[in-house]
Amino acid sequence: MKLSTNYIVRVLATGFVVLILLSIPLFWARLLCNVGLYLWMPYEIKSAAIEPSGLLPDNLENDPNIERHSRVSAKMEIEPLLPIGIIEYFESTSPGQSRSCLILSSSEKDWAYFDNKSGQFVFRYVETKIMPDSDKLKREVQYYIGPEGISELPDKTLGRFIEPIADNSEFKTSLWKSSKIILYDKKLRHFFAINLKDRNITKGPQLSEDDTHRPIDIGILNKNDDILDLYWMPPTINNQSIYSRKLRIHITERDPGYRPDRYILVLDKSGRIDLLDKETLEFAGPAGRLPTPATLFPTYKNATPDDLLAYRVLPVALKEDHKYRGLFAATVNWEGTALALAVFDANGVPIKSDQTWTSVRRGNRRTHSSRAVLFGFPGAPAITIGKFLLENLHPPILFLASYFTAGSFEAASGHRALFLLPNSFVAMKGRDARENIAARFLYALLLMSPSIVLAILLALRVSKDAAIVGLSRKTRRWWLFGTITFGLVGYITYRLTRPKITLVTCANCGKPRRPDTDICHRCGSKWDVPELIPPAWRVLNG
Amino acid sequence: MLTLIKREIRDHELFFIGSVILSAVLIGLSIATLDGHYWIELVTFDSPAGAIVLPIIIFGFFAMGAVQMNTDRIRKISAFISILSVSRNRILLAKIIAGLLAILIALVPLAVTVTILLRIHAPPIPIFYVMVLEIFSGTFLITLACYFIGLQAGWNSGRPIPAIVGLALTCILATLILIKGFTPEIIVILSLFIVASLIRTWHLFMSTPL
Repeated sequence: MKLSTNYIVRVLATGFVVLILLSIPLFWARLLCNVGLYLWMPYEIKSAAIEPSGLLPDNLENDPNIERHSRVSAKMEIEPLLPIGIIEYFESTSPGQSRSCLILSSSEKDWAYFDNKSGQFVFRYVETKIMPDSDKLKREVQYYIGPEGISELPDKTLGRFIEPIADNSEFKTSLWKSSKIILYDKKLRHFFAINLKDRNITKGPQLSEDDTHRPIDIGILNKNDDILDLYWMPPTINNQSIYSRKLRIHITERDPGYRPDRYILVLDKSGRIDLLDKETLEFAGPAGRLPTPATLFPTYKNATPDDLLAYRVLPVALKEDHKYRGLFAATVNWEGTALALAVFDANGVPIKSDQTWTSVRRGNRRTHSSRAVLFGFPGAPAITIGKFLLENLHPPILFLASYFTAGSFEAASGHRALFLLPNSFVAMKGRDARENIAARFLYALLLMSPSIVLAILLALRVSKDAAIVGLSRKTRRWWLFGTITFGLVGYITYRLTRPKITLVTCANCGKPRRPDTDICHRCGSKWDVPELIPPAWRVLNG
Repeated sequence: MLTLIKREIRDHELFFIGSVILSAVLIGLSIATLDGHYWIELVTFDSPAGAIVLPIIIFGFFAMGAVQMNTDRIRKISAFISILSVSRNRILLAKIIAGLLAILIALVPLAVTVTILLRIHAPPIPIFYVMVLEIFSGTFLITLACYFIGLQAGWNSGRPIPAIVGLALTCILATLILIKGFTPEIIVILSLFIVASLIRTWHLFMSTPL
C-alpha cells in the first residue's frame, strides 16, 4: 500500500482531532490532581510571617507598653479553578487589567480608556466647580490626552502614545480628578504626569536605550492578588492596635489616607522595584525587588514578574509625615506551591525575609512547602504520582518541547496550557538553573521515561499490526516514528485510520493476506489460481 | 446547488425554526438584561441565561449534524440524488452550508442586537466591541466544531455507540471554552479543529458506499 496524499491528509487531520480531544480530558484530570493537592495543603505551609515587621521607628516598636510587635503576614489562597481561562478572560478585560484598554470605570459617567486608534487617552467624568456664590456647578467633561497636551476635542497635535501603562492607584479614591496620574510609555520610554485639574501634561526625561530600566507596572504593584493575601498589623497595646488609639497611624497603600509624598513604586521587567520621583519623573533609587520563592527544583536566578503566579507589594508611610519608609513584597512561585515574603527598608536594602516551611523538622532540617505539598501529607504522594503518570500520557514530543520552552511562558498562562506543559515536572526541571545542561537534560529524560517506554510499546504494537494489515515498509516506518513521537495520540490515530480490509488466508504461507494486492504481503507468493480441469462426471438427461 | 440547500433546509426545518426561536429568546433576554442594569453586564452576559443558553446551542447543533447524516443514510437520500447529475461533494457541501446557515441564524441577530444596544447605552469604548466579536466568534466556532462532530457521529446509522461517543466528545470539546476563554488562542485551535473535522467528514462521506 503506497502513501497517497489523501491518506497523509486524512491521518494528519485525524491526528490533530485526537490530539485536541485527548489533551482536554488530560487537562481536567491534571487539574483534579492539583485541586486535591491544594485543598489538602496544610495551613502552616500556606503562609509566612515576619514579626516585628522592621519598618517602624524603634521608639514605637520598642515601646514598653507594646503587647505585640508589628507583623506582616502573607498567605496563599490558591483557587482550585485558577486555570480556568473563561474566568481569566473576563477578569483581564476589566479596567486596568492586561487585555483592557479601559483604565477607569467607576460609574456610568466616570470612565477613561486608551484609544489605540488615535493613541490618546479619553477621560470622561463629572466635573464639579464651586461658583462665586458657593453653589456647585456640575458638568460632564471629556478630555483627550496625548503626550503633547490635553484638549476637549480630539486633536492630532496632542501626539500619540504607543504602549502606555498607567498608575491606577489614584483611581481608588474620588480624589483622582484633582491629583496627578502617572503614565509610562514603553515605546516612547518617557514617564508622563497628567494633571486633569490644571489640564496639563508633564513629560519626564527619555530613558536612554542603554538604560536597563524596563518598567511594566506603576503604583499598586500586584498580580493575581485574589490568590495572595498580604497583611500588615501595627503594634498592639491592650489588644488595641495603635490605629485605634489614634497615636500615629501607620498606613499602607490600601488605606484611603495613603498619599505617598514624593515617590511612586515602579516594577521593572527584571523584578526590581524602583522609586520614581513624582515631581521630576526620574528614578530616585531602588526600593527592593520581588523575592524569589523556592521551587521543587530550586533555581538561583532572581524571579521576574513572568516567573511568578502572584505577587503583591505594600509600601508603608507614616501619616504624620507621609514619608516613604520601605515596603513588604510577597510572591507565589510558578506552580502555586510556595510563597516568599521580604521586607525592604527605605533604601531598598532587604532587612528581613521568610518562606513557607513545614513546622515539623526532620533532624536539623525543615521541609520547604514546594516539596511538602507534593509528598508531605497523607494522600499527597498518591496524588503526585497520579499527576506524574497523567503528564506521561502526553505526547513525548510535546513533553520534550515543554522542557525546552519551560521558561518562556508567563506563569499564570502556564496553568491553562493544553499542549505544552509548563507546569509539569519535566518543565520544572527545565527551569532549574543549578546543574549543567547535560545533567539537567538526563534528569528530564528520566522524568519522561514512562512516556518514552509507553510510546515505544505502542509503536511496536502499531508496527506489528501494520505488517499484518500489509502496509508498505515505508508507511510502517512513518507509523513507527509517529507513534514514538506522539505516543498515545499516534496510537489512537493509527487505530482510527487503519485500513479496514478483510484479510484472506494465503494458500502459500497460511497467514492472513490482503485480497487487493497481486502478491501476498507476508510471503510474496502470487495468487494460487487452480487450473480449471473439467470433472470426470457428467449429468446426463434421462 | 441552491436546490440542494433548499432541500436540506426543508428536511431539517425543525432545527431552523429552533434557531429562530432561540435567537428571538436571546434577543429578548439581552434587551431585558440591559433594563435597569449597568451596561458592562450586557457585554459579559452576567446572567444565568448565558450559562444555560451556550450548552443548548452547542448540543442543539451537534444533534443537527447527527440528524442530517443519519437521515441521509437511513432514507438513502444521497444514494438517490447521486443518480442525478450531482456529485457527492456538492451534496456534502449543501449539508454543511445548511448547518452553517442555522448556526448563523441563531447567533448573528443576537450579535447585531448586542452591538446596537452597546452603541445606544454604553460609552464608545472599543474593548466592548472587541469582546462582543471575540465572544461571538468563539461561540460560533465551538458550535461549528460540535456540529462537525455530529456529522461524523450521525453517519454511522442505526448504531447507538458512535452517537454516544460523539456526544461525549462534544461534552469534552465544549469545555475548551472554559479552559481557554474567548482568547485568540481558542480561535486558532478551533479553526484548525474545524478544518481537520471537515477533512475527516469529507473522507467519511466520500469513501463510504451509498
